[in-house]
Amino acid sequence: MTAPGEEGSVSSDFVRSYVITGGRSLPSSDDLALHTLVTLAPERTLPLGAGPEVTAIWDLCAGGYLSVAEVAGHLGLPVGVARLLLTDLFEQGHLLHRAEPPRAQNVDRATLEKVLHGLQSLIS
Amino acid sequence: MTSLIRDPLLWILLVVLIAAAFAVMRARRTNLALRRTRKDLESDLGQAQGQLAQQQGYIATLNAQHQGDLADVRADAESSTKAVLKSAMGTLQSLAEEQQLLLDGLLKKYGNDSEVLADLMSVDHTGSQFSRRAKGISVLCGGWLGRRDGTASVYDVARSAQGRIRDFDRVGIHAQVSVSVSAKAVEPVAVVLAELLDNATTYSAPGTPVEVNIQAVPTGVCFIVDDAGLGMDQETKDRAATLLSSDNEVDITALGDPPRFGFAVCGMLATRYGFSVSVGSVSPYGGVRAVIRVPESLLAADAPAPAEPVQEAVSQEAAPQRLTPVPVGPSHVVGRTNGGLPKRRRRQGPISVVPSPDDTAGVDEQTSEPASEVTASRLGAFARGTQLGRITNTMEGPDQQ
Repeated sequence: MTAPGEEGSVSSDFVRSYVITGGRSLPSSDDLALHTLVTLAPERTLPLGAGPEVTAIWDLCAGGYLSVAEVAGHLGLPVGVARLLLTDLFEQGHLLHRAEPPRAQNVDRATLEKVLHGLQSLIS
Repeated sequence: MTSLIRDPLLWILLVVLIAAAFAVMRARRTNLALRRTRKDLESDLGQAQGQLAQQQGYIATLNAQHQGDLADVRADAESSTKAVLKSAMGTLQSLAEEQQLLLDGLLKKYGNDSEVLADLMSVDHTGSQFSRRAKGISVLCGGWLGRRDGTASVYDVARSAQGRIRDFDRVGIHAQVSVSVSAKAVEPVAVVLAELLDNATTYSAPGTPVEVNIQAVPTGVCFIVDDAGLGMDQETKDRAATLLSSDNEVDITALGDPPRFGFAVCGMLATRYGFSVSVGSVSPYGGVRAVIRVPESLLAADAPAPAEPVQEAVSQEAAPQRLTPVPVGPSHVVGRTNGGLPKRRRRQGPISVVPSPDDTAGVDEQTSEPASEVTASRLGAFARGTQLGRITNTMEGPDQQ
């Protein structure tokens, strides 16, 4: 407890996430998976009146592809909330996304060795 | 002579005379006695009146004393009620704060499950409203209001306030400025704005908008709250004006049942922290316009909000490592190969990630350093990719963060 006359410190998130989503229902997990990669569509300008979160997403995604989970991590927001914001931007055409990279297949050893040798010869 | 003596009339006259003389004497005596009695009575009356005045004076003193005592007792009762309420609300505030922290953790933890997240958010919403009430009562009782460590942008202050009321989705926020409120004023301004928003949403029809406009004025920043309600009658306006301008203690027993402490809370906080609140003008929608004016002294000198620079720093520090390796333009999947691998559009520069021999010759350490990192990250990614194919993905978890 805080001593009288003294102010306690408040440390929980100042802006609650339901305000950020505007009380809308969150997108189901099929829309954008954790591993889905998103990036900014070319030649787009930040929509007027964009909130701080959208601006942050804009800055983050301008550099290249970033996964949904990473965006959420950078924003410090729950993944569902980040997904909602990304879905919005996607529906407005500001974002491009592609599915998560497919699992690597079992490739025969010879091919891999060839690739490795090729890379090594490029670097050295 | 004899005839006269014998005349009965004479005797009768004599008798009458004597009787009259007696009567007169008697009357005189009685008169005297009466006068004496009257004098006595008058002096008694005077005495009694004197005593009466004395008694009245005494009663007046007693009354004054009684009033004083009563006021003291009232003040005592009020202050002890306030002390009890303050301590009780302090506990509730801490609990609410704890709950919000807990919910922050839960929201992050179950962030990927939309349904759980939505439920958690509704719990969070209820908790925020409950926290606001506790804070309001605590303020009226002279209690503390949590203090934030950093400044917050006016937009975030408004959004935070928005999150503390029931019908928060009716509130629209338009910020024309991007200044920050200093740390000590963040919470009080948010609480006052929340009270005004609560009033605005409660006293206007459901579904009508409530607008918050944030504008810079020469002396600071104004939060303007407009609703589309029916407005306030004169009595309410007067009451609000009194509560908002008074700098004396608020009598919590006079707030009515159910207690209407919104304006009282606003008035107390505004006086304590030095900003001003006014209500009573008419909004463009015909309802009430309430204005909070935060003076320059309560605004932070630096514009950036605390949350932004941190994110900025993170994204500049961590993102390039991950981002520069793939400087993609619009390179998305255009199809699939026969083996099921994604086919991507070709990039302009053949391989920007691997330094070509003539590049490295002319380039100094600074630029070649990131390039080799980039190469390493590419190779690492490749290795991980093949590993993923061979081993089950249980390896993935602990290895990558």
